[in-house]
Amino acid sequence: MGRLTGKVAVILGASDARSMGAATARRFVEEGAQVVLAARRKEAVEEIAAELGGIGVACDIADEASLAALAQTALEHYGHLDIAVNYAGQSAQASVLDVTAESLRSQSDIHFVGTALFIKHMAKAMTGGGSIITASSLTVLVQAPDLGAYAGSKGGADVYVRVAANELGARGIRVNSIAPGFTKSAMTEDYFGIEAVTNAFLKEMPLGRFPTVEDVANTALWLASDEAFVTGQRIDVTAGQALRRTPRADEFV
Amino acid sequence: MSGRLAGKAALVVGAAGKDNMAQVIARRFAAEGAKVVVAGRNRAILDTLAEEIGGIAVECDFTDRVSIFAMVETTREALGGIDIAVNATGWGLLKPFLETTDDDFDRMYALQLRGPFQFAQALIPVMQDKGGSIIQVTSATASIMFHDHSAYMATKAGTDHMLRTIANEFGHLGIRVNSISPGVTETPMTAEAAAVPGLMDAFAKGYPLGRYGTSQDIAAGCVWLASDECFMTGETMQVNGGLTLRGNPTKDAIEASVAAAMTQQG
Repeated sequence: MGRLTGKVAVILGASDARSMGAATARRFVEEGAQVVLAARRKEAVEEIAAELGGIGVACDIADEASLAALAQTALEHYGHLDIAVNYAGQSAQASVLDVTAESLRSQSDIHFVGTALFIKHMAKAMTGGGSIITASSLTVLVQAPDLGAYAGSKGGADVYVRVAANELGARGIRVNSIAPGFTKSAMTEDYFGIEAVTNAFLKEMPLGRFPTVEDVANTALWLASDEAFVTGQRIDVTAGQALRRTPRADEFV
Repeated sequence: MSGRLAGKAALVVGAAGKDNMAQVIARRFAAEGAKVVVAGRNRAILDTLAEEIGGIAVECDFTDRVSIFAMVETTREALGGIDIAVNATGWGLLKPFLETTDDDFDRMYALQLRGPFQFAQALIPVMQDKGGSIIQVTSATASIMFHDHSAYMATKAGTDHMLRTIANEFGHLGIRVNSISPGVTETPMTAEAAAVPGLMDAFAKGYPLGRYGTSQDIAAGCVWLASDECFMTGETMQVNGGLTLRGNPTKDAIEASVAAAMTQQG
């Protein structure tokens, strides 16, 4: 008997085997869940889903109809939806002086509007209660230069999570976020190739090692299971870096 | 032994009240495969629990430095180390601010802030070779308001912040330090209040999930924080069904709820 036996989970952002989404899918399946994996790249996500005995669906978080269809697919295939995890994200960099309205809007579309509409459509499909989890970020907790649009839209989503948790509690739906730190994943692979960057970051992590996608998956498992009497919270997976700071660029030596 | 804490050595303090939060945590830890030392002030109650879960009972006065260090040392010797340490002691004093005495405040400080400080000082040398997880039960009222509870709330909030400093300084030894924040919880301590008509109704509306907490909820949170699956440190985890999103009722709201229930009954 696994910790998620009998549960159906949607995981958005699982098109790469090294991603948080794929790691979460593996962990959930180990614990007995059935999974619907989603991402923009249909073939890639179908391949990962097939390995786990789940189904893969194309979904773009910036498209509301596509989110509604994702929830419907879970209901049509498995009859119910209990858990929904959103890792869809995209990093964009620009200084406060150079940022464009276009970039701010696009980051908001993905992280703020996208998260809000993900919560909306997953919650509507969760007729018997459930757990919705979305990815926040270390950048919400300690400031990083040039990530204003990214951090601002993620931070806005965290506030939305609290509002959603308050409203959806009556339906037995819990809503929380996970704030990963500097985690080696498909999205951050380029940074991990630069030793000056990884060294500087490691010094700011009290636990002395980088968070892994497995750490994030285990956190998602805790929040997903019926045991967690937790809602409206942001759970930290930053190796304690939230207690410290983001290293400055001049420290990348 | 299988279970999420298989092979772990755990110390749970505050377990000298029948079926209180620490007892429920200790039972759950044992069920997850941990070897458990239960500590507190009442030997007979501890012995009964220890026998039930196959653990060991150790007497401790959490307001006394020597007693805390002796408890940690006894646990280390008995279990061969300590992987998990939970402090669930507390004193739920309700007293108007202007009537709270220096003596009340000093006693509260000794139990709820100095105790956790000394407990961590005793634990770190024991945990420094293999790492470990220190868990402090604090309270949602460390961040949201409740009337007539100032000494309790101030020391709980102080403990939350002190834990962050410990997490920051000893994380490199593999020691994680977190607190867990219950709201109103069904325990023997709150049974009397729960029997007053209308009283708990006033609180229940503050919980988005529609119910207040149980000791089992807190025990589940402790298992997560204690297990190797958890990579979190320096955090205060709210395990209270979203109470901090809404807050506790005011004194007036509680009195009105009780009065309404009395009228209905009458």
